[in-house]
Amino acid sequence: MTAIAQERGYRSTWARVLRSPALRLVVKRLLLAIPITLGVTILTFWVISLIPGNPAQQLLGPEATPQQIHQMELQLGLDRPAYERYLSWLGGAVHGDLGTSLVSGQPVTPQLADRLAVTGELVALAVFGSLALAIPVALLAARRPNGVFDRVSMFVSMAGLSVANYVLALVLVLVFSVKLGVLPAIGFVPLSQSVTGNLQSLVMPATAIGLPLFSIYTRFLRGDLVDQMQGQDYVMTAQAKGIDPWQVLVRHAFRNSSYGLIAVAGLNFGVIIGVTVIIESIFALPGLGQLMLQGINARDMVVIQACVVVFAVVTVIGNLVADLLQTVLDPRIRYGDR
Amino acid sequence: MRTNIKLMAALMAALLGAVACSQQGSSTGASPAGGSPQRGGQVTVLEDAAFAGGWPTGLDPATNATGGANLSQMQAIYGGLFLLTANPDGSGAKITPNQAQSYEIADGGKTLRIKLRPGLKFSDGTPFDAKAVVTNFKRDMTSTCTCKPIWILAKDGIAQEGDDTVVLRFAQPTGAAIDNFPIANVNWIVSPTALQQMGEDKFRVNPVGAGPFKVVSNRLSSELVLQRNPNYFKPGLPYLDRLTFKSIGGDQAAYQALLAGQAQAYEGLTTVPLLDQATKNDRLTVTSQPPTSPYVIQLNTSIPPFNNEKAREAIYYATDFDAIAKGLFKGKYPVSQSFTAPGGLFYHQQVPGYRTYDLAKAKQLVQEIGGINITLGTLGAYVARQVNTALQTQWRQAGINVKIEDYQLNTLVQKFNSKKWTAMLQTAGAWDPAAGVGVAFRFNSNSPFTGVKDPKLDALLNQAAGEVDPAKRDALYMQSGKYISDKAYAPFGLAFAPANLATKGVSGPGLTTKIPSLAVNNGIIWDQVWNSAK
Amino acid sequence: MAIVEATPSVITAGPVEPPARAWLRRLSIVVPAGVIVLVGLACFLGPLVLPVPKPVGGNVLNAGLPSFSPGHILGTDPNGNDILSRILYGGRNSLIIAVSVNLIGLTVGGGFGALSGYLGGATDTFIMRVFDVFIAFPSLVLIIAVAQSLGPSVITAILALSFFGIPAVARVARAATLTLREQPFMAAAKLCGTPWWRVLIRHIAPNIAPQLITFAMLGMGLIIVLEGALSFLGLGVPPPSPSWGNMISEGQASLSATPMLVLWPSLTLFVTVLAFNLLGESLRARWSSR
Repeated sequence: MTAIAQERGYRSTWARVLRSPALRLVVKRLLLAIPITLGVTILTFWVISLIPGNPAQQLLGPEATPQQIHQMELQLGLDRPAYERYLSWLGGAVHGDLGTSLVSGQPVTPQLADRLAVTGELVALAVFGSLALAIPVALLAARRPNGVFDRVSMFVSMAGLSVANYVLALVLVLVFSVKLGVLPAIGFVPLSQSVTGNLQSLVMPATAIGLPLFSIYTRFLRGDLVDQMQGQDYVMTAQAKGIDPWQVLVRHAFRNSSYGLIAVAGLNFGVIIGVTVIIESIFALPGLGQLMLQGINARDMVVIQACVVVFAVVTVIGNLVADLLQTVLDPRIRYGDR
Repeated sequence: MRTNIKLMAALMAALLGAVACSQQGSSTGASPAGGSPQRGGQVTVLEDAAFAGGWPTGLDPATNATGGANLSQMQAIYGGLFLLTANPDGSGAKITPNQAQSYEIADGGKTLRIKLRPGLKFSDGTPFDAKAVVTNFKRDMTSTCTCKPIWILAKDGIAQEGDDTVVLRFAQPTGAAIDNFPIANVNWIVSPTALQQMGEDKFRVNPVGAGPFKVVSNRLSSELVLQRNPNYFKPGLPYLDRLTFKSIGGDQAAYQALLAGQAQAYEGLTTVPLLDQATKNDRLTVTSQPPTSPYVIQLNTSIPPFNNEKAREAIYYATDFDAIAKGLFKGKYPVSQSFTAPGGLFYHQQVPGYRTYDLAKAKQLVQEIGGINITLGTLGAYVARQVNTALQTQWRQAGINVKIEDYQLNTLVQKFNSKKWTAMLQTAGAWDPAAGVGVAFRFNSNSPFTGVKDPKLDALLNQAAGEVDPAKRDALYMQSGKYISDKAYAPFGLAFAPANLATKGVSGPGLTTKIPSLAVNNGIIWDQVWNSAK
Repeated sequence: MAIVEATPSVITAGPVEPPARAWLRRLSIVVPAGVIVLVGLACFLGPLVLPVPKPVGGNVLNAGLPSFSPGHILGTDPNGNDILSRILYGGRNSLIIAVSVNLIGLTVGGGFGALSGYLGGATDTFIMRVFDVFIAFPSLVLIIAVAQSLGPSVITAILALSFFGIPAVARVARAATLTLREQPFMAAAKLCGTPWWRVLIRHIAPNIAPQLITFAMLGMGLIIVLEGALSFLGLGVPPPSPSWGNMISEGQASLSATPMLVLWPSLTLFVTVLAFNLLGESLRARWSSR
């Protein structure tokens, strides 16, 4: 084969890759992530400016005179119009500098990295753990709708939805730390220090966050699977061909139902973050949620904004992955006009 | 429910057994309280994230806006010029020189001379001398924290005399100046050299003092790790090698963490049902601190309805704190009629002529002035919310229309600044009424948190704070209490103080012995805390 | 009951079932619907006819009575209020919040989601990106902002919780609509020039309803619990006014000492959530067999 032919071959492969709808989707969505993140930061700036109180007051404490507060506002640049402050913040953020906390005077970026490791791992464990459990349970439940397993899983899921996360967290600690003494009640062990220690420190918080998620995923997927098995032509065809119903369920119906599940999983993020704040404080985990709550209470725009950006980027990426998975799983969407 | 408590107790007992076994019987070595102190080991202390566990502005006394809440962290890092000490049962509380060697009040209370211990050094090796203290005092007086002492200094009022003496000159007699120290930022002396080298922003995260411990790492409002200061001025102290402060969300989580063995102490337990449960648990030492600050119902006397004395009287008559103390707190805490409480100075159980609960009179007064519509606010904490709810109920019975709200600190400050609030449930007074969040904080015309603007009361309180002779001060405070009561300015109530928990084997002054509360928490003396269950 | 009577035609429209199964099917709707009606009646009418004390303003001298005390069958809370009464009155707040948030979510979110999925193209991209901003925005910030500027109240809780309800439903509705788009009846509707709103109401809504119903029923429990989480942060239904969520959140403060404060409202919540979801699943089974 000549070099030219080889060259041509490469070129056509490249061309094919470039023309592939999946890649175009990725590029398109990544480009879209920019306005979304921008939108989120603008929204944050606006929303926080609506909350009464400002960081000058927090910084100076209750004893401060109005003059002192005014002076601190000048010092912090709070007298400038909001859009001006936003733009200068944005200028720094683009260069990877998320600013200096108004209240503590510490640069925010290094703190974020530190805390994202905790919260990121916690949320990932909760989401993927609950998905990993929910899928087999839903499949088994959908195998015989209204059968014993289905009913039991229903009760468990509903109990999971009715128990508040923070109550569950406390009960877990009472059982596994206080009574059995097998898991630590508080604290975080970094992954770099000890893998088992790390998992031990996160398993209860992740369970507390994940149980309601598990319930939602299970019931949602189970419902969709039952629908698929009852109504769809391809299922009837497969059944007519004599394929084992379990195979039909796993191979075909699940594949079809999974994108609905992925959509549901992708959008739980906002709720999870809210819950993380409470769970982190119960387990004394030095996470992002704590940082954000402290920022909100202190009206520390820089800290809030930094946390929001991190959350937004992670959510956008998460949803992009979810969309890609959907495209892979459902060809009808792949060739849609997105 | 009763059976459930028993069940719970049985469960606890069982699991305690399990925990004890897993520690290979080391807990059997837990000596009875008061055993002899031992060197070494470590302690993890939990602090409530909503109060002492929050230090968002760092731990530099001059810039920490929550200094009143972070007394423990400050004591561990800086030690303190003076300490409030007491007998183990909380009696005989007094100010004891610590890094200071002695003090002297002169000029009828207008001059305070503080002599420092000779040869003191900061943990960075630089000298802890009069010059350093003067620099500190000057910085501290520019703070806007409530922990800044209420001193009115003469011109150039902070000066040094030789290398070991600092002189404070006041514009007016300030007899209580020395009592201010244990809760004021001026008590904590930072190394000026370290401060200069690091700059303020870095220093507030990694502060350097001359206290029993040095900072290893500090994650603001989350975790503070300290290690023994080898150059500490008291030989053989501190007992502990390592001390860690951790912020945690709430009493229940903290209680469980102690039982699980992940922490050895918790400061400031306020949830009453948990307090009962913890007391029954033989793995824990529960020490309820002598209360010094009673609740006060502040009434805004500048605007309707409480610019009308009759409306204020109606509140007095409609309020039954004895019932609240009995019902909500099983009679564990005393009820005050003034801004003092049994743990503090100048306490008297009764104020002559104080208007006690009388529903009929209250109803009649409410009718007479054609109804009362108010909002009763408070800072969002378990006990305060409970008392607020109970007050709402009692006042409604008298025909008073009450809305209750609880705020975060930020919102609370705003409510006061707006001057539009009507009633607030707060605490008033301190170990010495003139110190810290003392009586003037709630009643002096100049305070942003007052509901009363009365020059006569201002004069009385000023005089009392300035007087040097304790007997005369006592009489003046008695008079002030009576004046507030006569004018129906603000009813007082239950004097509550939180409890400290420690696992068995951990002991120390203020932790397992009683020391009166300073503001909310009391001052634990960390260099003498030891852990025998290593 | 009304639900059963409104739909008898559906039963006869399906394939002929053995009477026993038809009876079971009917039961699987009547029982959960009955429980829901019962809970609703108990909460909204119960306090008017039953001799229960007020949920607030209890005597402090009765504080913390154990369950099964005379006059207070479930005991009293630390403020001396009757727990049964608080569960009944609290149910009003919780149910109002959960139903409102769901209705708002289903109409606004479901409408936009279905429209977005049906129209596709630039409209789809625009609508979904706007929702993406809301999904990517940590709702906690928004909730605290809303609650602190408006002050905590039932309305505030509904508004705040709707902020994550709407985009969530929108996504589910869109995903469900996308799979419908290729169906022949949709193409037919398009060919006939049926206006989009008619397609939305006539064709899409009934077809995506089963998925949305399951989602909404799951949401009932989640919303009630989340409202409690708001209370945990001091932003939910303001005390002393009760809701199941704030009862649970107040009770957890001393969970190990007073577990019943959490147990009773949680059990009530469990029964209600179970009934809603059983009903949702039975209705869904009925719809999809059509």
